[in-house]
Amino acid sequence: MMLELTVNERPAALECEPDEMILHVLRRAGLSSVRETCGIGVCGACTVLLDGEPVSGCLLLAGQAAGRELTTVEGLPAEHPVPMAFDAEHAFQCGWCTPGMVLTAKRLLEENADPSDEEIAAGLGGNLCRCGCYLKIRAAVRRAAA
Amino acid sequence: MRLVGYAGDAAADGMWHAAFVRSPHAHARVLSVDASALPAGAVALLPEDTVGLGRYGCQLKDQDVLANPARFVGDIVAAVAAQTPAAARAAAAALRVSYAELPAVFDPLAAVAEGAPLLHPESGGSAGDAVSIGVRPLAGTNVCHRFRLLHGEAERGFEDADVTVEETFRTAGAQHAPMEPHATLAQWTADGRLELTTGTQTPFNLRDDLAGVFRIEPERVRVVAPPMGGSFGAKTFTRLEAVVACLARKAGRPVKAVLDRSEEFVTLGRHPAAVRVRVGATRDGTLVAKQLDCWADTGAYADCGPGVASKMGYAGIGPYRIPHVRVDALAVYTNLPPNGAFRGYGATQSVWASERAMDMLAERLGMSPLELRLRNLLRDGDRFATGETMHDVHFEECLRAAAAAVGYEQDPRGKGLCVLLKGMQTPSRAAIAVERTPVGYTIRSASCEMGQGVRDSLRLQGAALLGCEPGQIEVPDPDTDSSPFDTRTTSSRSTYMMGRALDEAVADLSANGGERGYGEIANEGGLDPDTGQGIASTHWHQGAAGAAVSVDEETGALTVERLHAAVYAGRVVDRAGAELQNEGSMIMGLGTALFESVEHAGGQITNANLSDYCLPALGDLPGELTHELIEREGAEPHGLGETALPPVPAAIGNALSSLGLHVTELPMTPERVAEAAA
Repeated sequence: MMLELTVNERPAALECEPDEMILHVLRRAGLSSVRETCGIGVCGACTVLLDGEPVSGCLLLAGQAAGRELTTVEGLPAEHPVPMAFDAEHAFQCGWCTPGMVLTAKRLLEENADPSDEEIAAGLGGNLCRCGCYLKIRAAVRRAAA
Repeated sequence: MRLVGYAGDAAADGMWHAAFVRSPHAHARVLSVDASALPAGAVALLPEDTVGLGRYGCQLKDQDVLANPARFVGDIVAAVAAQTPAAARAAAAALRVSYAELPAVFDPLAAVAEGAPLLHPESGGSAGDAVSIGVRPLAGTNVCHRFRLLHGEAERGFEDADVTVEETFRTAGAQHAPMEPHATLAQWTADGRLELTTGTQTPFNLRDDLAGVFRIEPERVRVVAPPMGGSFGAKTFTRLEAVVACLARKAGRPVKAVLDRSEEFVTLGRHPAAVRVRVGATRDGTLVAKQLDCWADTGAYADCGPGVASKMGYAGIGPYRIPHVRVDALAVYTNLPPNGAFRGYGATQSVWASERAMDMLAERLGMSPLELRLRNLLRDGDRFATGETMHDVHFEECLRAAAAAVGYEQDPRGKGLCVLLKGMQTPSRAAIAVERTPVGYTIRSASCEMGQGVRDSLRLQGAALLGCEPGQIEVPDPDTDSSPFDTRTTSSRSTYMMGRALDEAVADLSANGGERGYGEIANEGGLDPDTGQGIASTHWHQGAAGAAVSVDEETGALTVERLHAAVYAGRVVDRAGAELQNEGSMIMGLGTALFESVEHAGGQITNANLSDYCLPALGDLPGELTHELIEREGAEPHGLGETALPPVPAAIGNALSSLGLHVTELPMTPERVAEAAA
């Protein structure tokens, strides 16, 4: 089937199977920031924004994105404050979880411009970083909020 | 945002995708594989396709490309390739395998008992120069390696002791759980060369192992190692590469495999272990004798279990002067998925046991655990139990820093300490090449990037030596065709070893017109596996941790209020990178201490997903998690990649024990804590 939606602010028509998750469709379209990791929606590494809300790409049927607006980190402007803050705070090691962290943090800061440590922990609770960069990730979110 | 290209992102023209047929039995002979229902357009790799191939394995060559018998639930008995991952999975499901089940064993102590089913009735051949440890399998048993260390006369030593404690401690199996799963792309060139793009920390070991499988010269194998999305030991030695290469040859086209998370759980883990400690001291707290017996469950294949058992053995002695020591450490086969290198490499298991036993001894002596440690710590010029002389020793500084951070001397209740030593791969070689380019320099090495920041470390060290900006230095991916030889990217050795090789390379470049330079460094040593004497490490990782906890004795819920690690860094090369190593190690240590455990029933892993197997998240951090890098003017850089992990569980366990809660098994779940309180 043909999936029509907006990807990173541009109209897109992507070939997909009816039972396919959006993660695989986006990867085929060259958006390699969307990364299959746990496959069951608990780690946040394949997070994309659907109409601005973070969702797990591994749990979203491609068809559910039809006609909607989808954002991956490839669609963020180069000078976006959240990835800039991650870079400035060295808030990553291997970089695998970073796109999902950045998109989740972006939404968190839209909802709460000045989150406490507890609010950051809750907001990013569904994003795992096995390298354990959490202290610097928290610092990056604070920096982006400032 | 600049994105990293990982092995799973690699593609080749005409590439197909792999799927694996895995044994549902823990131990079973494969009687037949029926491929008659294989869909058109798929290719199957069947047992008859692997006849005549060599075996592989980094320390013992005990693995076949396709397993028969299958030795654990998940062992690969056949494989398929097809145009899409979904088509490959469907094709794999179409193969019909018939098995004859064999008796199985799932515990290392049961596996060494008389009459236990044998996994490898004939020992695998020693794996040549990929190893340096002198593997000692015990013929006719499930013991694939026995490491012994004899220093003084332990039995006589215990006669001098006024107080002796003895306890057996256990640690659970764990998953590395790198966010990026294993991914491998293999293809054969028209002239019969094998080329792989794969996530690996060990490109040269892998090249040599695969050359043995396909019976070709090592130079006929090319391994390119892109950055990894984490590894922590998971992507060491030969994992999927042999079967994917074989499948690509059969398919006559490039084939890529990317594992799903449940397959990760049967690919490699950390050795569950039992460690029995007996330690004795005189009334004044002077250690006189120590005995350690270790059983490391290496699963169905040795992998580097022999090396892990050896390191478990000597790391469990601890950074102490002890006149009489006896260590007996076994790597034992069981019918569980293989275990191998894991951040902390054997030290995690035996440091838990050894440092918990120190607090038991202190209690029996009526002495502060801090004072007992300080009284016995190794100092500069002391000899370790291996006979080697210790240099640049900072255990006391690390321990005092950890104690001070948690206010241990003011009030030790609810607080615990741990101090450790951990060796670096010895012997080993590292080589590096520097070339001038129009914009600066290219530094070629086989040091693999897995998030630990080795490329930044080389850029920073190179920039300082070459008088340029780090951004002018290009560090290409390791490639066995063009990168000089390196033993491997393990044991926190790259900044130190490759950094020294880089010094040589830059000196060579300066002496030869400034265009090209080459440097090579070797560290010599190794331990005799029968006596444990020799040089365990030319460079010691030294660290300590302090913890403060509170407990709800009714529910067993344990809260870590404060956690601090102090690690000897020598000279710091990349400050943010160094901090990240300490923080990451501590957080991984928290998971090990509190909740990570690979569970199995009848050989089947029962929590093979990231919902049932929990990884630490941001909300799991202690109220205060802090650390420090202990630096010394003029010192060499010290490896930092792992040191802060092994002391975390024992510091927390000792904090519990200061409250009268004696837990001997990791993780310290609420159930175990409540049981200790009952």
